[in-house]
Amino acid sequence: MAKHKVLIVGLLLLAVLFFGCAGEKQEAPKAEVKTITIGVTDKITELDPANAYDFYTWEVMNNIMGGLMRYKPGTTELEPFLAESYEVQDGGKVYIFHLRKDLKFADGTPCTAEDVVRSIKRVMELQGDPSWLVTEFVENVEAVDDYTVKFTLKEPISYFLALTATPPYFPVHPNYKPDAIDPDQTAGGVGPYKIASWVRDQELILETNENFFGEKPKVDRIVVKFYKDATTLRLALEKGEIDIAWRTLSPVDIQSLKGKEGLQVIEAPGGFIRYLVLNGNENTDYPTKDKLVRQAIAAAIDRQEIIDKVFMGTMEPLYSLVPNGMWSHIDAFKDKYGDGNIELAKQLLSQAGYSESNKLKLELWWTPTHYGDTEKDVAQILKAQLEKTGMIEVELKSAEWSTYTDYARKSAMMLSLFGWYPDYLDPDDYTAPFLKSTANNWLGYPYADEKMDKLIEEASKATSTQEREELYKQIQEKLAEDAPIIPLVQGKLTVVAKSNIQGITLDPTMIFRYYLLDIS
Amino acid sequence: MSSLKAYIVTRTLMVIPTVLILLTLVFFIMRILPGDPISAMVGQKVPAEVLERMREEAGLNKPLVIQYIDYLKGVFTGDLGNSMIWGRRPVMEEIMDRFPATLELTVFGFTISVLLGVLTGSIAAFRRGSKADTGMRIYSVVAYTLFIPWFGMLLQMFFGVYLKILPIGGRITPGLAPDHITGLYVLDSILTLNLESLKTSLLYLFLPSMTLGIVLSGAYTRILRNNLIDVLSQDFIVAYRARGVREWKVIKHAMKNAFIPVVTLMGLQFAILLAGAVLTESTFSWPGMGTFLLERIEYRDYNAVQGAIVFYAVFVALISLIVDVIYALLDPRIRY
Repeated sequence: MAKHKVLIVGLLLLAVLFFGCAGEKQEAPKAEVKTITIGVTDKITELDPANAYDFYTWEVMNNIMGGLMRYKPGTTELEPFLAESYEVQDGGKVYIFHLRKDLKFADGTPCTAEDVVRSIKRVMELQGDPSWLVTEFVENVEAVDDYTVKFTLKEPISYFLALTATPPYFPVHPNYKPDAIDPDQTAGGVGPYKIASWVRDQELILETNENFFGEKPKVDRIVVKFYKDATTLRLALEKGEIDIAWRTLSPVDIQSLKGKEGLQVIEAPGGFIRYLVLNGNENTDYPTKDKLVRQAIAAAIDRQEIIDKVFMGTMEPLYSLVPNGMWSHIDAFKDKYGDGNIELAKQLLSQAGYSESNKLKLELWWTPTHYGDTEKDVAQILKAQLEKTGMIEVELKSAEWSTYTDYARKSAMMLSLFGWYPDYLDPDDYTAPFLKSTANNWLGYPYADEKMDKLIEEASKATSTQEREELYKQIQEKLAEDAPIIPLVQGKLTVVAKSNIQGITLDPTMIFRYYLLDIS
Repeated sequence: MSSLKAYIVTRTLMVIPTVLILLTLVFFIMRILPGDPISAMVGQKVPAEVLERMREEAGLNKPLVIQYIDYLKGVFTGDLGNSMIWGRRPVMEEIMDRFPATLELTVFGFTISVLLGVLTGSIAAFRRGSKADTGMRIYSVVAYTLFIPWFGMLLQMFFGVYLKILPIGGRITPGLAPDHITGLYVLDSILTLNLESLKTSLLYLFLPSMTLGIVLSGAYTRILRNNLIDVLSQDFIVAYRARGVREWKVIKHAMKNAFIPVVTLMGLQFAILLAGAVLTESTFSWPGMGTFLLERIEYRDYNAVQGAIVFYAVFVALISLIVDVIYALLDPRIRY
């Protein structure tokens, strides 16, 4: 029995070792440091604004860097940030920014106009993924003096200020490699926080940047913990491992956390939209080539049902590609078709030559993980809604993300579900990439309409907001008429936090500003 | 021992064609599937001409055979290439960022599974027919059939949310990672005498390695029980007992003989363990290779997937080799 005993003793020792530790309180060092821990299911892909092109990394950049302009927190209004003021010259072709004189990087190195120019030219030369946000528009950028930056544009662009609020325009520390992408660089730029440590896929620790020109954040230390899925994120919040659960809890979890003692659930409209692409490619034999078919589908969809059954109120209905709350938005699809209008759908289908005995056969594609695990339910509800007409038969098909994007570009999907995060907050970013014939190849449905192209072109150059608003309304009406894309829902942002956390400010930029947070 | 040496050399050389075949299969299968890393990464937004340029830069426009030869050249010079998405970091760097986490989890999970399996299997065999035997047999079946994410979540809810004594996910309390020496937090904490990090990393390891350990222990319970019973009824044991040899010596001999199939199983389990680690890693947000590999498959990051698989293959082959050597040492009759 001696062997047996040795084993038992061994196991007991192991258990004692683990449980002995388990009794210890887990706490980060420096307990006096005001710290907030945020949990996310996103990840930082790379810390170089010349190549990073995903929502979460841009959020981190907005906390450790900044641009010449920024969105006023809580609004979609632009205001000067690293610049004190700006001038527009030459009919909108030249923008001159006057920098603040107290700009410093986190280590105290001054940030001058040369640094801004160096950083932007670096983006242009490296040609990383988001570089088109600069190269498509900027002809030249130069430092007039230490505190003046001059942009010469290829042609006047009405939303150029919004572009300067995006990370490719953020000045970066001279430590960034000048001639290569620097994915692990933590030197950052000019922002309220600096990176104290970053362990890929594991944790990010931010500390107050003592050299920041603006108001110092109220919280000394922000810790971001990266989780693999929504379930673990929720459990971590309930256990108290994190103070804030940010993107993305599942709709079911949000629902069940509402009203839970010690927690607050904060919601705000987000700029993230979901839509259905109807392939009207003339070179295919898809029935969706017929405008009447597309219109019938647009009429049959009931957005509220999708929201109630799948998203449990964490989304809102969307009747245009321009999101709710953005200037120029109109409920174009609702005005034209209503919502879940089966009668109208039947009428349009009959006109297109379909009947209950000669059903319209559709293939609806969805992708399992890229848009979260609710996607299958969205597809199933859409199928049910379309089949409710009695004149449509829907076959569901799915492919994982890389195959899905490939199929899209090859025009291999008849109906497909997609989503969109904005690069800059302007109706242009919600219309031109989808509807402009020179920009929408990725849809696989090269929707091309001369009138639409002209409207988009004019809207991107018009200088008066009133004129632009009028043009975007016409664009939305034309979109509803042609229906190559049907907007479905718009995302709401949801933060679930412990009730002692203050300063959570959400807005359609969807950037969570850690520097506004406080803890009591 | 010369035949053992020859055996080791042969087994080591066998690793090369095995890895090469695997690498070739992965290389072509990945490329036959529709989609490529560039369009998966940038999704929809980037203009078509930019996408084309990026594909060209990544060498994806070259004929498949040329791509294959280029890749093989790299592998033989120890260069697994660069990741094709997000920063284009060297694949070896990406692997070394995550592999220590997987190795740590695997070693702990493996140790727990063997210890639990041996303990429960021995109890069942030595108390054959008793309630303890029935209990252990039920344990083995239940453990074997447990679904890792479900079982892991149960443990998270009980020890994390309800008792609040163990962390839900992650590898260590932020800011407490020990100085990097091997990347294995437990070992690095010991080497740097950082007790706080040691405690914390063990706490974070507890639930994931227990989950993995318990699920994998069931197989050991069964195999050890059956073999021990078999060995205990053999003539030499009966003879030992008849001659009045002390019981602990009998057990020692019985265990040694019953252990041979367990060692075989240990080798086989290692590959299963790595697969189980994928599920465990995602349940406990463990930043290891499993979730990295899954993510990169989804994004068709050819070089990262090939690199990770080659790395795994070499690793599993080495473990199998070690197991085979132990096996040969345990049973001198075994020579190839």
